[in-house]
Amino acid sequence: MSFGSPYTTLPDFAYHRPKSLEEALALLKEHGDEAKVMGGGVGLIAFMKERLMSPTHVIDVKDIAELMQVEEVPGKGLRVGAAVSIAELLESGVLRKHHSVLHEALSRVADPMIRRRATLVGNLCEAIPWVDSPPALIALGASVEVAAPGGARTIPVSGFIRGPVDIDLGPTEMVTAVDIPVVNGTRSAFEKFTGGSEFSLASVAVVMTGDGRKRQPVVVYGAVNSIPVRSPEVEDAIRDGITPGSVRKASAVAGEKVECVDDVLASAVYRRHLLKVITAQVLRRMMV
Amino acid sequence: MTGDLAVGKPVSPEDTVRKVTGTALYTYDWDLPGTLHAKLVTSIVPHAKIVGITLDRAKEIPGVVVILTGKDMPFRVGMYAGDRDLLAVEKVRWAGHPVAIVVAETLEAAERASELVDVEYENLPAVFDPVQALGPDAPVLHERMEEYKHAPVFYPVPGTNIANKFRLVHGDIEKGFEESDEILEDEFKISHVSHAYMETQGVVAQAFRDGTYEIWTGCQSPFVVRQIISESLKVPYNKVTVRVPFVGGGFGGKAGLGWEALVALASKAAGYRPVKLVLSRKENFASAASREGVVANVKAGFTREGKCVAYKVRFVLDAGAYADYTVNVSRAMGYSAEGVYEIPNVYCESLAVYTNKIPTTAMRGFGYSESNWVLEQVFERAAKKLGMDSAKIRRINLLRPGESHTATGERVREDVGDPRKVLQTLTEAIDWEGKVTPPSEPWKVRARGFALCVKGPSQPPNASSSAIVKFNEDSTMDLIVGTGNFGQGTTTALSQMVADQFGVAVGMVRVDPLRDTGKSAYTWQTVGSRGLFTDGVATLRACEDAKKQILDLASQVLRLPASELEISEGTVKAQGRPWVSLPLKDLVFGYVYSNGNTVGGPVIGRGHYTSSLNSYLDPQTGQGVPTIFHTFGGTAVEVELDLITGAIEVAKAAQVFDVGKVINPLLLKMQLDGGFVMGMSIALFEKIKFDEQGWVTNPNFTSYYIARMKDAPKEFVTRYVETPQFDGPMGARGIGELSMISVASAISNAIYRSIGVRLNNLPMSPEEVWSAVSAQKPELMEKAMEAYGRVETTMKVRP
Amino acid sequence: MIEITVNVNGRTRRRTIKDNELLLDFLRERLEVRSVKAACWRGECGLCTVMLDGALVKSCLVLAVEADGKDVKTVEGITPEGGLTPIQEAFVNHGAAQCGFCTPAWVLATHELLRKNPHPSEADLTEATSGLVCRCGTYNQIREAVAEVSASTAKTRKRVEERLPRR
Repeated sequence: MSFGSPYTTLPDFAYHRPKSLEEALALLKEHGDEAKVMGGGVGLIAFMKERLMSPTHVIDVKDIAELMQVEEVPGKGLRVGAAVSIAELLESGVLRKHHSVLHEALSRVADPMIRRRATLVGNLCEAIPWVDSPPALIALGASVEVAAPGGARTIPVSGFIRGPVDIDLGPTEMVTAVDIPVVNGTRSAFEKFTGGSEFSLASVAVVMTGDGRKRQPVVVYGAVNSIPVRSPEVEDAIRDGITPGSVRKASAVAGEKVECVDDVLASAVYRRHLLKVITAQVLRRMMV
Repeated sequence: MTGDLAVGKPVSPEDTVRKVTGTALYTYDWDLPGTLHAKLVTSIVPHAKIVGITLDRAKEIPGVVVILTGKDMPFRVGMYAGDRDLLAVEKVRWAGHPVAIVVAETLEAAERASELVDVEYENLPAVFDPVQALGPDAPVLHERMEEYKHAPVFYPVPGTNIANKFRLVHGDIEKGFEESDEILEDEFKISHVSHAYMETQGVVAQAFRDGTYEIWTGCQSPFVVRQIISESLKVPYNKVTVRVPFVGGGFGGKAGLGWEALVALASKAAGYRPVKLVLSRKENFASAASREGVVANVKAGFTREGKCVAYKVRFVLDAGAYADYTVNVSRAMGYSAEGVYEIPNVYCESLAVYTNKIPTTAMRGFGYSESNWVLEQVFERAAKKLGMDSAKIRRINLLRPGESHTATGERVREDVGDPRKVLQTLTEAIDWEGKVTPPSEPWKVRARGFALCVKGPSQPPNASSSAIVKFNEDSTMDLIVGTGNFGQGTTTALSQMVADQFGVAVGMVRVDPLRDTGKSAYTWQTVGSRGLFTDGVATLRACEDAKKQILDLASQVLRLPASELEISEGTVKAQGRPWVSLPLKDLVFGYVYSNGNTVGGPVIGRGHYTSSLNSYLDPQTGQGVPTIFHTFGGTAVEVELDLITGAIEVAKAAQVFDVGKVINPLLLKMQLDGGFVMGMSIALFEKIKFDEQGWVTNPNFTSYYIARMKDAPKEFVTRYVETPQFDGPMGARGIGELSMISVASAISNAIYRSIGVRLNNLPMSPEEVWSAVSAQKPELMEKAMEAYGRVETTMKVRP
Repeated sequence: MIEITVNVNGRTRRRTIKDNELLLDFLRERLEVRSVKAACWRGECGLCTVMLDGALVKSCLVLAVEADGKDVKTVEGITPEGGLTPIQEAFVNHGAAQCGFCTPAWVLATHELLRKNPHPSEADLTEATSGLVCRCGTYNQIREAVAEVSASTAKTRKRVEERLPRR
């Protein structure tokens, strides 16, 4: 996977700025796979310059009130609308209580100017192997709310990302929000290594809910493969709690069991080593 | 000279105000009425015959004016190797090779049409590795090499992929090895590097029906561009005008062939309308030239007293598909092999080799950074082997001014500089003898290292510079020079020198930001750290010429011999009788008597400089005088290496150079700081990556990482030595490239000194370093991981 | 085609633009505001930085139509009549511009940082400008320029002379 565009202009398209979700869905119904939804535009505009995507209709959702919310929805969790920028979300502080892993992941996405425009939903939908929100969202058990002219559906983020720049989204569908379960007593953290790169070479999201025998660890690795990978082996290592001993075990297991790939940023061998480091790093922070 | 002198003061470059207010205009900003926009169509295969190019679909795009292919311009151009086509003719030689240029009313139309040009290729076997390209069965990229008009000092080998072969023979290398007590051998690899100047390559060109051409381009060598256009389009030089507005960085990448001739021809074909071509960043990575990759094999012999008595090195340059400037780099890499040392027996072979990858060209350092990477590490390892301090082994081998000869047989002059003083100042600057603070964590290593370097401009013996000092009616001056300004601020330094010559405020002298081959004084090129030196000498000579004219006129008016007059504080004064005086204002446009009679006229001072002292190099042995001065210097660093990730952080850095005379300490600082950052970025991060088809896989700034503010060390010490160069302007030498040359070696030496790990490959990325440590000192890596594993308390959460 | 009205550097500008036009090109080509540059066209280098409704954004990743009804400021819009802002002065004095191609973006970013945070720490500055690149490597000079402007008193203000190379 390599990015870089010979072009500096965008392909031709008609720009739409619907004022309601209904209007947006009507546009999607009419234009189907000739259309793409735009949030902050950071991902879509870059993809369009590369001609990875050449929609003839762009539907900007930033004016749709229903998509701007950040609120707890009973039965769904914390709902972050598709038009909410990463900066807004961070500044609201709402992630600090139960979702530190996501707060940490988003704090270091790109730079402050990009974060001012990029949306959480957009970052997720980019599904570039090295973006940071997917592993955090998957570890939190988040789901994507998808709306279509014919109805709506919910799909876990882990199923939503199928491959690099490949998401489970039909031509007349759009993502309206990400729902993140709110579980009291959740502890979570995120770590990444970006040495000599702007993108992560390896990242890890750990979420721990419950206590004692009800302890549920979820460990998801990002950037080391074409999509985020969950590691049941590392989860097993910390199921009985995060202790110096289990941290050491988890770190060793991460280096052995997680499938990594070679790509333009790093080799699989190096990534497997980095996983040992960042696994220990992230778990230690959760120990106290 | 009395009064407040400008030379030696930290005068801000006069164009900074334009830059901070956004009013400096670059080629990227340049527009003429009716400008058309151009877009390149480039090859998608690395080595193939062009079977056919179909333009029908592309021509249907509304707004397309003309599309040209290689058939429309089937001639070759070049400065040194003469190997280059403007567009691919008959075959493409790398993935990214331009095969067509689309010209349209809007950029959007040009880009749209460029997607619709259909090219049919017949693939040929390709070769991507330079060592393989030397093999007998390797596909030959340039089958008609013998037809190329190359400069006589280069030695291509037709029938092979060797674009140039340089050899340096000094003493008797085998005898040297026999006399050695310790022998070191190793192989070093350097990755391709992108200049990554912020302003991508761009040209605005207009052909006129009267046979003239006007070009706006961000280039470092407008006079060379003019020459190339004239020779390839067969027009006299004075019918081609090349203009250079502000340039957003050059670093050698804009010194050689650019797109000027191509765009000029496009303008002609487009009905003599101006045409503008600006490369996108990906195109700049994939279709413009970068710095070559290098594989170096070295064998060095030392006596147990620490004297290096034999140094044998072979440089194989991965020059890519075209090597016009790289042949010169290969030569410089060769004759710079021995660096700052006096080594009695040297054998160096340097080959520029064609491969089916992006073409290559000069880059700041010009082969010296590469030869330094090998040499300085060899010395560091020899020091360790002999149980000797790093500084001591340097002292034992340093070239001695007035006594030594270089490996090219050049006598090292008394005024060349003071390498011993440089070394001493450098070790002081980094507190070499002092204790190193312990690392911040037990799995990290904190260490100091340094490396020395030396360089002079690699220019032909007849490379010249000239200058004109022109007065205006109010006695302000215009200094007209050819040397360009891409951020080095050379013209500010020159203005300071002129101001002091006449004893006026530096604001009284101005150098126009635009270069124009029709209006600027000639200079060979703005490269090689030569600007201050060569154009400085020319400038001072122009001042002398102006002064002579002024004094001749003043002598008439004052009725005194010119030899009894002097100029100071903007006034001509009689020596010893300062009340007998005339302001310059009354003389520089002729003197008007009270009755209106006028004598004299506008004063125009002119001067030129061509080095009389350098020579061609012997084709068999490389003996001769390749350069006009030698700036000695060095870099020292204190680094912190995180063993568990391989990440290196430069905590402190020091740079010391013997610049002869500090004309402007602020400009010096900007070069030393900026050059360090660029050198460090290349040392730690930068690598153009290729896939198995020779495609550049990281043509962007996320995966081709260049240093940001967070990477720049905050503790930075810059010091200088002033050993005046007798033939330099006020004793000064050049500095532009020097600040980059020894950075990588210094960092690598710090690591080697402390943990004995050899880092032979550039860049020293975290993965590269981790691999090297794991392979060479597995027990050290284990210990580090263990130490890391023992940490039980909460770590600091990064913000 | 869409007609948009944008307040650029204090003046209302109305133009008919293409839907697919980038804010970068709207400013540079339609309004000829050439201080805004581009070096990567992918939002990595930050040279296309402008202020959009008071926030710093990378204009190569914003559509021109998104600026309709909004306020855009470029470096021309912060430069006072007949003078320079303190940060611009400081850039000049400390040699914080070499080739100058990235300079307008850095001036905007540091100006805005100092407006919101008159005494930024080194970490604040590094973080705020993490989206910008300078190939000439003027980072230390930019640090010094910002330090000069943010220095609380004349005493803490380190003069340019104190940071020059020594013999």
